[in-house]
Amino acid sequence: MSDELRNEAITFGRYLVDRDPSEDLIARYIRANEVLFEPGSAADHAVLDFARQHPWSIAMLDASSGVIGGNSLLRKKLLLMTAIVETTPELVERTEPTSVDLPRLALRVGTAGVRTVFNVVSGLVLQTMLRRRA
Amino acid sequence: MRDADVIVVGSGASAVNAAVPLVEAGRSVTMLDVGNRDDAYASLVPEGPLAELRRTDPEQHRYLLGENFEGIGFEKIGNTPQLTPPRAYVAKDAERLQPLTSTTFFPLQSLAEGGLAGAWGAGSPAFVEPDLEGFPIGYGDLAPHYEAVAARIGINGSRDDDLRPFLGNLEAMQPPANIDDNGRTIYARYEKNRARVNGRGFWLGRPRLAMLTKPLGDRQPTRYWDMDFWSDAGKSVYRPRWTVDDLRRSPRFTFVGRKLVLGFTEREGFVEVTARDVDTNEIVTYRARTLVLGAGTIGSTRIVLGSLRAYGTRVPIVCNPHTYMALLNGNQLGKRSEEARHSLAQLCLVHAPDGSRRPFTVGHLYSYRSLLLFRLMRDLPLPHRDGMEILRHLLPSFVVLILQHADQPTSAKYCELVDAHRFTIEYELSAGELARNDAIESEITRHLYRLRCMKMRTIRPGHAASTHFAGTLPMSTRDEPLTTDRDGRLRGAKRVYIVDGSVFPSLPSKGLTFTMMANANRIGTAIARSGA
Repeated sequence: MSDELRNEAITFGRYLVDRDPSEDLIARYIRANEVLFEPGSAADHAVLDFARQHPWSIAMLDASSGVIGGNSLLRKKLLLMTAIVETTPELVERTEPTSVDLPRLALRVGTAGVRTVFNVVSGLVLQTMLRRRA
Repeated sequence: MRDADVIVVGSGASAVNAAVPLVEAGRSVTMLDVGNRDDAYASLVPEGPLAELRRTDPEQHRYLLGENFEGIGFEKIGNTPQLTPPRAYVAKDAERLQPLTSTTFFPLQSLAEGGLAGAWGAGSPAFVEPDLEGFPIGYGDLAPHYEAVAARIGINGSRDDDLRPFLGNLEAMQPPANIDDNGRTIYARYEKNRARVNGRGFWLGRPRLAMLTKPLGDRQPTRYWDMDFWSDAGKSVYRPRWTVDDLRRSPRFTFVGRKLVLGFTEREGFVEVTARDVDTNEIVTYRARTLVLGAGTIGSTRIVLGSLRAYGTRVPIVCNPHTYMALLNGNQLGKRSEEARHSLAQLCLVHAPDGSRRPFTVGHLYSYRSLLLFRLMRDLPLPHRDGMEILRHLLPSFVVLILQHADQPTSAKYCELVDAHRFTIEYELSAGELARNDAIESEITRHLYRLRCMKMRTIRPGHAASTHFAGTLPMSTRDEPLTTDRDGRLRGAKRVYIVDGSVFPSLPSKGLTFTMMANANRIGTAIARSGA
């Protein structure tokens, strides 16, 4: 179990901040999982297993879960990792408020918006397949 | 059996401010309360600015997320999002020791020393005449007590801005706190458009906050560390437990903790109060010439109904309907945000289409900087990675408007002690009330749009979310059971007074805590003078 959670922490860390989390962060993620989460549904686990095995799919599954309810185990675990990242001084530059000029702000928000739309659409297709299989 | 002149039940905002004039007048006062304290976090949170701690403290997750990650929470925004792990002790044991049932109303209760104001937003507007419609007292009755409480607890605000007719005049007020860049840019836009928006019934100014901008006793002015949701370093924000500490210095005052008051019985010449020790379950009896109930609206109501065995009797309850509005401040988009700021409301707005002599709506604008970004992700349908990236760019211009609408009693809002153990509350707003609140919100949204604040989302977190509970044992001129007279005395009782929100017959669109404290000071002063 803790190996599975360890891999999960590394995969989610890479997804969120493009780097492997430190051993401290991994340990914190594992402990938080033990405190916070009950076993999820079969569909939840199908989505989670796929995300762990295919890290390229996390953005899609995350985006689509956000649109269809946002209460999936995957979303909760990603929220937990986001909270851990946000309270880590070495990663503060990834979450601190920042300012850019208006054109660049519009470009960044626009790019993220387009990416999100693509991820939502492809994630919905993927989720439908995974949930049917479960 | 222990005797005192006065027993005060509770240690929250109203209880302590009733106790002060009694102790000052030479009465012996025993305060009974469970009195939970924060044993876990107070010593854990370092002193320093939040932004600095976020960059340097490797242990920050222990107090920002909680030792058991209780600060993460996966539910939608509900009661008091400012209830961070270091503030969670405020609600500790309350559901277990004071259970209630409801299908519509899920209130936050407190058994902490200092009560709910251990985690309040410190908003302290006075009630002016239109706010007191239906009360058997007027602004003139409260004015000297507003001054006394303001001098005691320290309230800052502006005497010169447009809000004075709406928030009351206070001589004892400290200079206004600095506002942050979000507040400043919105206010600058307001000044440019003042004539236009004032003509449409909209005013903007500084909030009244129970936060020091000058030293007061052992308390320090705010250091603008943005730590007000996490720590009480310097005691700049008022908490009732500062007053408990002051009272403890008097030989006439005794604080008895770990006691949950169950009821009272009036005897010839005294009142007997029964309490349960929450650790040993031992039943203890106390005796005094006068009883002052300040256990919070729900706590005091439960004690009164139980003591009178008024099982199955419905009493009214009111609670400001609560709305959060997420706004983007277009004046601040793309600009840097300052780190030196306080965490509380930056600006106060008033929507008064009929002017200051008719009921109006008050709202407070906060910058979302002092709480963590991940908490916003729960409510956003965005993937976490892109969501984080978008939010950190928008955060400097992200503003939250908190509106608390006025509330009047109706037959659909009531509480009831079903039997000795079961307390229930039901609360529904009528279609008319909902439509009125919607219309007010739409008009305020339009005013804010003129100030370049764009609404992104409206969140209504549930009926009890304002935590402004009141109206269960209202002050009234009519001699009816389960009401109080203008001096807070429970009708049918000789020696029992109520000083908390229970006695407010209705709620205007304003936080009630400051008025509750002033009214408690008024009642405490009257009891001391009467020699009761």
